[in-house]
Amino acid sequence: MVHRLQITLTALACAAFGASMAGAQELALAAKTAPTPTTTSVPRTPDGHPDLGGYWTNATVIPLERPKDLGNKAFFTPEEAAAYEKAKLADNGPTGKGTYADVHYNMAQFGLEKGQSKVADNIRTSLITDPANGRIPPMTPEGRERNAERAAKNKGHEFDSAENRSLSERCILWPNEGPPMMPVGYNSNLEIVQGAGYVAVMQEMIHDARVIPTDGGSHVPANIREWMGDSRGHWEGDTLVVDTTNFRPETAFHGASENLHVVERFRRVDADTILYSFTVEDPHTWASPWSAEYPMTKVKGPIFEYACHEGNYGMENNLSGARAEEKKLAEKKALEAK
Amino acid sequence: MKKFIVTCLFAAAATIPAWAHHSFAAEFDVTKPVKLEGVVTKMEWINPHSWIHMDVKNPDGTVTSWMIEGGSPNALLRRGFTKLSLPPGSKIVVEGYQAKDGANRANGRDLTFADGKKLFIGSDASEGGPKDKPDEK
Repeated sequence: MVHRLQITLTALACAAFGASMAGAQELALAAKTAPTPTTTSVPRTPDGHPDLGGYWTNATVIPLERPKDLGNKAFFTPEEAAAYEKAKLADNGPTGKGTYADVHYNMAQFGLEKGQSKVADNIRTSLITDPANGRIPPMTPEGRERNAERAAKNKGHEFDSAENRSLSERCILWPNEGPPMMPVGYNSNLEIVQGAGYVAVMQEMIHDARVIPTDGGSHVPANIREWMGDSRGHWEGDTLVVDTTNFRPETAFHGASENLHVVERFRRVDADTILYSFTVEDPHTWASPWSAEYPMTKVKGPIFEYACHEGNYGMENNLSGARAEEKKLAEKKALEAK
Repeated sequence: MKKFIVTCLFAAAATIPAWAHHSFAAEFDVTKPVKLEGVVTKMEWINPHSWIHMDVKNPDGTVTSWMIEGGSPNALLRRGFTKLSLPPGSKIVVEGYQAKDGANRANGRDLTFADGKKLFIGSDASEGGPKDKPDEK
């Protein structure tokens, strides 16, 4: 109870603090911008395009959506950014003994702690750059209904079989893979290989390579649907623009429909940085498109294989755990009936 | 003031980390905390999770074999953990929660060597932070 009261008081105080800081935030916004493109000095491939090739990480401490109490404050001051990063990196997850939140690994011990990853400098308060509040636009009634229907269909059947589990538990697709590509809790690494007419992007999680033709050709026919959609690229000056459609309905990036349309932009801004941004639109899900941006920073390779399905004991254990629970419940009911 | 900002940021960002490959709560039982002392017999370097096999001596002298679920081998390897870091015969203490189906499996909430050292000590954000990692520069 005391704990809950503390949380409420903190939330109230933070809301007031956010409001009082609004003026200062606007000043900060004017002074700080994302990395400026200086594409003259970047390495290039023989055909003259900037070379995106190499090993990169998109690990970040910045959330996709801006905390509501920060309003339209798009950038931290350097001091705030440092304090935020420090706090986030030190957070190894909940530790309340005997709570479900505690049933996980100690992130510091199992190499998953974010503080052990290289993180690109970023003073944004959210990865989302548009709309101005840094948050995903509200879902349309159609989108809400579709997602509610899907959830209702699986409700009570979550552990019936492997096919009721998420795509990530089934080692088919991780939510970070996209496109659009998102940072993930660990192994947020990717390798880009660039050749004449193609760019291949492989993300460590979970080891899918996207081979993108860069000739600006058209998408595959609409009846062909893919987990990661169909990506087609072209160069706009020094920026690689990748257009993706033809998703499967199950991919459902943030609840999107199979009509999701993604436009990604890759711009190598210096020797160590690719500025990556994307815009997603799906009128069947959101009333307006939304965009995000983050820097990727160079890391030492290699990318290790993530043979997810090979050692997926967790799937079997989850299902056998559910069977054990059902058995326990049935025994309890039988006992009560006596 | 600085402390206050951090508190606010924490309050805004506090969520249960969705860092694992699957639902821990579905696999492990919060009502069955375990503390196991024993020796490593094998470590499986498999994705999505590593598994540590260990033998635990019971008070009556019999031995029970346990499997402990650990982090992604890719992450462990990148942090400098190798196949030689936890060789068979290593004495360890594991604290975690037992599998819901009652099998001798547990998640590795905490893992300590006989000398008190933790399984893996990475760079602490408070002591320089991630950008000081020399191996990734």
